[in-house]
Amino acid sequence: SLKFLPRGLSSKHFVNETYLQPHISVLTNTMNKEARLKASINQKLTETGERDRLKELLRAKLTECGWKDQMKAQCKDVIKQKGLEHVTVEDLVVEVTPKGRALVPDSVKKELLQRIRAFLTQHAS
Amino acid sequence: MLSYFLFFLWGHHLKIQRSISDFQMKMEEKPLSGPDNTRLEALIQDVYSELVEDACLGLCFEVHRAVKQGYFFLDETDQDSIKEFEIVDQPGVDIFGQVFNQWKNKECECPNCKRFIAASRFAPHLEKCLGMGRNSSRIANRRLATNNNISKSESDQEDNDDLNDNDWSYGAEKKAKKRRPDKNQNSPRRSKSLKHKNGDLGTSLSSDPYKQYNYNAGISYESLGPNEIRSLLTTQCGVISEHTKKMCTRSHRCPQHTDDQRRAIRLFLLGPSAPTLPDADVEGDSFDIPNGQALLSRLQWEDFPDVSPTDSASSKASTNHSDSRRPKKKKRLDLSLNSGGGGVNMTGVSSSSSSSCQSNISLSTKKKKPKTAAPSVSSIYDELN
Repeated sequence: SLKFLPRGLSSKHFVNETYLQPHISVLTNTMNKEARLKASINQKLTETGERDRLKELLRAKLTECGWKDQMKAQCKDVIKQKGLEHVTVEDLVVEVTPKGRALVPDSVKKELLQRIRAFLTQHAS
Repeated sequence: MLSYFLFFLWGHHLKIQRSISDFQMKMEEKPLSGPDNTRLEALIQDVYSELVEDACLGLCFEVHRAVKQGYFFLDETDQDSIKEFEIVDQPGVDIFGQVFNQWKNKECECPNCKRFIAASRFAPHLEKCLGMGRNSSRIANRRLATNNNISKSESDQEDNDDLNDNDWSYGAEKKAKKRRPDKNQNSPRRSKSLKHKNGDLGTSLSSDPYKQYNYNAGISYESLGPNEIRSLLTTQCGVISEHTKKMCTRSHRCPQHTDDQRRAIRLFLLGPSAPTLPDADVEGDSFDIPNGQALLSRLQWEDFPDVSPTDSASSKASTNHSDSRRPKKKKRLDLSLNSGGGGVNMTGVSSSSSSSCQSNISLSTKKKKPKTAAPSVSSIYDELN
């Protein structure tokens, strides 16, 4: 049963060896596989310049639909709350990012997802 | 920068946690392009959220920098200013609250002549009033030329001999230039503006400077002295129109009037001792022609056009005879003098042509020279009948 124990370890180190082993390996494998996949996708995105294009597209769309102004208003609130002199980046990020994620309009989200999907299907390994 | 790096790691850490939990849920390994696209979708979502967070982070940095540099609140104004410059949305008024054609019917006071001019006519009026601009200089030059002409003609008679020739040719150019403003002055627009002018002052002042130069209708001969008339007649057609009682200001070749008319006018205006039309011998007095040959040569110049309205009925009848033989062209002239008349008491040019009247003289002349002895020739036929 304890076929795959790491060196230097005995069965007393594991509560449930049958459970533990596959768990780690699966996780590691999965993680490794996914990580590798992800890494390769990121690499592709960056190399082809698609990531930058997507970034610019997103930024433009968000400004156009007024998301940026909304977020600025949120920032103003945070600043007024924390005081002009003492506000930090962390304050802003912590307060504003979740709202930002939520305030993205559906149309923009859909379009971006579409583009990413197109890219991924095109460059699928 | 350091804080950014830290939070990048922190965010990444969060992502990893999330993705781990995601992966824990799907234990099976699926190919990316398989029928079940959940992994693909998950990846897509990942990429998307990564991008969105990037955008948010960028915004936060931008705002933070603006706050620290002090320009974050620059675009804000106080409430009063905002209310003041608010967009206006009322009918009849633009978004600034200004009325559209507020200055349309405004009248401006001219600094020169102190009159009130409509706003849309103000600029042209200033041009004329101040004497700046192309048109006003043209008018001024014309006025100067006309004045020079008139003043010259009032000087010595002999001087006119030489000057007349110059003036005559110069006058032709003047006529050509004058033709255009003549059209303007009789155009419907001009009469309309005169009719619709409100102030009396306006009409009198505006029309006066131009009425003098209302050449199309001509000049009223009653107001001119004999010298002026003489000078005018040397350069212009001069025939007095029945409708307006004004002298025609066109050239000697003006197609509206005949040479006979011109001659008659000269006789009428200047009397029997009138000088001949220019180009004749300017001694203007009676011609003593010793022989018919000279008369022939002299008569070659003369036009015997249709009878002018001022002639009597008898002369009309008499001249019809000659007219029938005349070719249609005005420039030609056929003179056939009936020998019917005996001694003809001549005045002016053809004074002593009585003897030669008795002979039949048929002349056909080519292109005629400027007229001579217009009034006197018609009187030949008077006597003849």
